[in-house]
This record gives sequence, structure tokens and C-alpha cells, in this order.
Amino acid sequence: MKIKERKQDGIAIIEMSGKLMGGPDAATFAETIKTLIHEGNLNILVDLGKVNWVNSTGLGILISGYSTVKKNGGDLKLLHVSDRIESIFMVSKLHTVFTSFDNEDEAIRSFA
Amino acid sequence: MSDPNRTHHVELKIPSLLVFLGVPDAILMELAGDLPAPQKTIDELSTSVIEACTNAMEHGNAMSADVGVELHFDFSPDRIEVTVLDSGPGFDHDSWKPPEDLMRERGRGITIMREFTDELHFERAEDGRFCVRLLKHLCSD
Repeated sequence: MKIKERKQDGIAIIEMSGKLMGGPDAATFAETIKTLIHEGNLNILVDLGKVNWVNSTGLGILISGYSTVKKNGGDLKLLHVSDRIESIFMVSKLHTVFTSFDNEDEAIRSFA
Repeated sequence: MSDPNRTHHVELKIPSLLVFLGVPDAILMELAGDLPAPQKTIDELSTSVIEACTNAMEHGNAMSADVGVELHFDFSPDRIEVTVLDSGPGFDHDSWKPPEDLMRERGRGITIMREFTDELHFERAEDGRFCVRLLKHLCSD
């Protein structure tokens, strides 16, 4: 998994690519979230558009990040969730937890 | 597959390292275009195989890189069966129930496999290895 960060209209966007599957990915993502929060970025959009697949351990990474952001008074939403990944969210009922968007502008406006 | 009426058997052995989880996925995705099934069917099977391999590496082989996870792919005209073998003790799958905490960080793999396969079997192979058998029927839209 690779991570890139950027900001758009005050929202921190984490662009993930590759496979989200646990192992070192967990620490990398947790550290990214922690640093963003420490810098005052409480609204975070995670772009999964370039993620090929997610396994159940990868879901745990996203849940951990979501919980951390929520505990600090912020919000974490998802962008560009593929049909394959969306189906995993559905069967694990996590679509009731995560808000996801297909359009970046719409996602950014939702934090207002 | 050049002859849709033939069956094909593929075997693969991967080290118990997470980085190799993409290999069985790559095999299924490479063949997806030639199989008489919608992409969604192959995606669901591949996601299930990744879960079975994740469990085999973590719980079966304790992430020991020297202990392999063996996969057998059996392609038939109307179905794909994938068998995943590890060297662990297995688990009491009959009494397993999914944890209820929606925000738990682990414990979703079996639920995903159950939802995404047409048949899921946890067995002991003749040589004593733990074995997960995943079956998906192929049907075009």
C-alpha cells in the first residue's frame, strides 16, 4: 500500500493505492492519521480509488482510523470506493458506518 | 479458456507473507475475461480466497515465511473450486459466530467467505493439513 497526502479547501485527503491488507499498512495509516490530527486536520477524506482490493484486516485499518478521528472530534469519509470494495462494506455492514462519495467536490462540501 | 468444456487444475504454493496475498488474486483476475461469469462473481471468489489465505498465513502458519500456503484451483465449465491448505490446527468452525461489535478491527474474514461463496467447507486433509474449500458457481448474466 502507498499513501499520498494533499489538502483541498481545508480538507486533508489521503490517497491510498495498491492493496490494503494489514501488516505494516496498519502502522503507516495510523501514523498518517495521528500526524494529521496533531497538525489540526480533523476532517479527513480517504481516497480508495487506486486500491485494488481490501481484506478483512484492511477493513480493520480503516475502522481504527475512523475511530481515532471520531474520538478527536473529527470525521473520516471515503472517496472513490470501487464496486468490489463496496460489496465488502455491504456484507460486513460497514456501509452503515462509513460515508462514501464518488465525487471529490461533493465529498469536500459534505464536511461543511 | 480455449475449450469451455474442459476442466483445468492449477496448483500454487506461496510463502506465509502478506505480500503474496495478491498472487491468487492475480491468477483469478487474469483468467476472469475468459471465464463464463460476470466480473462480480470472480471478484467475490477472489476476495474470499484472499480471506482464506490471510487466515492460513496468520492463524495456520503463524506468519512463518518458510511454511507455505498451498492453493488448488479447479476450473470447470460451470464452477470454480479453490482449496487452501495450511499447517495449523484449524478451529472450531461449527460453533463459530461472528462477533457483534460493528467497530471491531478483526473477525470478519469468515463472514465475508460465507457471504461470497456458494459453498464453504472447513476440513482436514488426508495428510493432516487444515483445508478450506471454497466453491463458486459460474453463471453468465
